[in-house]
Amino acid sequence: MKRTLAYLSLLFILGVLLYVANPNYGLKFGPGGEEWKALRYTDDYYITHGLEEVGGTNIVTDIVFDYRGYDTIGEATVLFTAIAGAVALFRPWRRDGDEHH
Amino acid sequence: MGVIVRTGARATIPLIGIFGAYIVAHGHLTPGGGFQGGATIAGAGILFLLAFGLGEMKRHFNKNLYSVLEGIGGLAFLGAAMLGIGTAFFYNVLWHNGPFFNGKPGTLLSAGYLPIMNLAVGLKVFTGLVSAMVGLALYRRWRK
Repeated sequence: MKRTLAYLSLLFILGVLLYVANPNYGLKFGPGGEEWKALRYTDDYYITHGLEEVGGTNIVTDIVFDYRGYDTIGEATVLFTAIAGAVALFRPWRRDGDEHH
Repeated sequence: MGVIVRTGARATIPLIGIFGAYIVAHGHLTPGGGFQGGATIAGAGILFLLAFGLGEMKRHFNKNLYSVLEGIGGLAFLGAAMLGIGTAFFYNVLWHNGPFFNGKPGTLLSAGYLPIMNLAVGLKVFTGLVSAMVGLALYRRWRK
């Protein structure tokens, strides 16, 4: 019963997402020309001003490290926490240490 | 692993390391950067672990050194972000009126703190991935 409900809700969410992804009602794929200016004006700003404002020719690096540096700090923190957690969990258990020695 | 694999690893590990260092150092000019280059260099470390075995890796791997280097990478990143704290956090002061890293866009010594941050993130990703991989390889055993 529960599982049927779960599958039904999954189906419902899939339907809603398909509706949203339809270009006639929702998202536009590959906008160009005037649509690009209207929908992607942030990208347009980065591409026009990135070189003079940050100085790197790699626009992605300009955005990731300068315009949106906080995001990268968060990403580095996530990586640090993941490594720390993994290494902490992979340490030998106390009982195993007793067996070996 | 066998002799052929070990000899091949001896030849390719420096090449992978140099290529990863190139990706990290040119992060502000060409595709790639700290995360991608760091993962590439970590691939060289994992190739070393696979080709030469866990015993050889244990002799060359110092977990304290790698933990410290990962922390230093994160701190260098934060320090580079703090350079322009007089104006704002993440203000690229080296690019706007810094003594170095302010060359013409497209040259290696340009783009302000971006190369510093790329090096810091590359160091962090490399040490982190290698320590996670060694920790995984040292995990006790399959059964019981």
